[in-house]
Amino acid sequence: MLKPSFRDLLKSSLRSILKNKSRTILTSLGIIIGVTSVILLTSIGNGLKSYVTKQFDALGANSIFISPGKIFNDNGGFSQSSMATAMTTTFTKKDLNLLDRKLKNTVVMPVNATYADVKSTYAIKKSIEIDGSTEEYGKSNNVVPSEGNGRWFTNEEDNKKTPVVVLGYKIAQTLFPKSTAIGKKVIIKGKTLKVIGVVDQKGASFGGPSVDDAVYAPFSVVSDLAGNDNINTFVVRAPNKDLINDTKKSITKIMLEKYDSDAFSVFDSSQLLTSINSIISVLTIALTGIAAISLIVGGVGIMNIMLVSVTERTREIGLRKAIGAYPRAILIQFLIEAIILSCFGGLVGVILGSLGALAINSFFPAEITISSVILAFAVSSAVGIIFGVAPARKASKLSPIEALRYE
Amino acid sequence: MKMIKSLSKNNSKVILELKNITKTYLTGTNCFTALDNVSLKIHQGEFVSITGPSGSGKSTLMHIVGLLDNPTSGEILLNGKDISKFKEHQLAQIRNVTLGFVFQQFNLLAKTSALENVLLPLLYSDVPKHQRQEMGIKMLTKVGLLDKIKNTPAQLSGGQQQRVAIARALINNPQIILADEPTGNLDSKSGSEIMNFFHQLNQKEGRTIVFVTHDMDLAKQAKRTIIIKDGKILESKNA
Repeated sequence: MLKPSFRDLLKSSLRSILKNKSRTILTSLGIIIGVTSVILLTSIGNGLKSYVTKQFDALGANSIFISPGKIFNDNGGFSQSSMATAMTTTFTKKDLNLLDRKLKNTVVMPVNATYADVKSTYAIKKSIEIDGSTEEYGKSNNVVPSEGNGRWFTNEEDNKKTPVVVLGYKIAQTLFPKSTAIGKKVIIKGKTLKVIGVVDQKGASFGGPSVDDAVYAPFSVVSDLAGNDNINTFVVRAPNKDLINDTKKSITKIMLEKYDSDAFSVFDSSQLLTSINSIISVLTIALTGIAAISLIVGGVGIMNIMLVSVTERTREIGLRKAIGAYPRAILIQFLIEAIILSCFGGLVGVILGSLGALAINSFFPAEITISSVILAFAVSSAVGIIFGVAPARKASKLSPIEALRYE
Repeated sequence: MKMIKSLSKNNSKVILELKNITKTYLTGTNCFTALDNVSLKIHQGEFVSITGPSGSGKSTLMHIVGLLDNPTSGEILLNGKDISKFKEHQLAQIRNVTLGFVFQQFNLLAKTSALENVLLPLLYSDVPKHQRQEMGIKMLTKVGLLDKIKNTPAQLSGGQQQRVAIARALINNPQIILADEPTGNLDSKSGSEIMNFFHQLNQKEGRTIVFVTHDMDLAKQAKRTIIIKDGKILESKNA
């Protein structure tokens, strides 16, 4: 049986920690910072992942993309050679007709993207991506303006090359800060286009282009602006989710008739999502690893203070031994103190990290997960045990008479 | 050896016996002999003082008797059992149950109440938890400090602190009480109070008490005085 009982040990350790409140807080600070940063970083990683997932859901779950170049490598990651081929290969109207003819029950939407400055009478936005596509594209990609915000363009407008344009939310705000953009004119590459709709706000984005920053126009109009009728991407809507894989296979077969297997990629949003998420995961793990170093530094801090505490309390240890404390009782007492210090740090860190993640979430995606909280707390407790052992052993090995004589 | 035997005609049970105890310290390159082949017996119910000039080895002897320090050579017999080869945790148990130690510096835990100080040895004993509080109060009553059980050492006088320390030494009902200069840090009035208390414990309860002092007058109050010089027992005489 353990003498003294665990409860007695806990009580006496707690008392000695509470006697030195400021020291306790300073000692735990290292662990607090470590746990806080681990939780913050994992929360941001998780937040990014779920943000990306949501964005891809918005793209339409049944969408299949055909892009030039080999985008994915064999491991599911992004291929390194993609950029080179993507620049040189483009698809043509012939491909569109071929796909349209051979695929059943699907909608094939060509996308021609070009970059240009967009001007209004109030402002100018430089190098904006202008996507040219069809009537179906709006529905398929959830970018049809809601009621009161105008409309998406029609296939008739595409056929007639009617100069109309649909603006992303942010672009519309910038170009027409004072009143609604609908019905106004914008100038792109010297051509005047009429704004017929504004896409609903899709929310904050990180890094890459967002729907809020996009400009959409009929395919034929963008071809004129770009000076070519190349097709950068096909978006194919499968009849339903279950047929995505079959449709992808059919598309690959059709495309292989004309192109090398390296010259194009057929993928759906889930594939892209997996790749992006694996990148975020790697980044999160790397950053969390760096944050975890501060946990170790915190552990060294605890060890340092516990060693000081052992020295400070040498006489107390000597007395306890003189009246019958066996070495292990002293060892456990000091170990418990170190663990309490690190658990306290861990707890405060969990609270601060969670509050911090909630605060960050208002302007950047962050999501607290139970597993990261448990992990951070467990690691901090483990740090307490590991770094508490050396001082506790030192205390337990003191000779009673030398400890009592210590001044 | 022969001298000691002839002088102590006590026929009661021997509790503690030291046989040829030697203690040497290494100070740098010098070897210093603190105790040189010392043998002695402590009988049940004895009141013994150990005295001698400073540096004579009386404190070292006390620490070895109290199992706080290991002898370099020799045997220690407790109730007839050789304990000189015992492991640290076994010695700790003997210190806890069989010995009660009173120090010159009192050695009470600061910021801790008198009662908790008295209860400290019970933490390391088998005494059931629900009995402890009551035992502590009983001991503090015995040393006349019932009204001070919640006071911390800083709120007590030196004499009161030493009485708390004595209560702590008595709590596990030890076979021997060992006191190292118990009055050394006290004024003469509190010192004689403590000595009177030891006399009472010895006479009324038959407790075995061994104390160290450099004060010859104090040493003479004991029933037997062991005089030690240069690590050797000069004489052991009964009062």
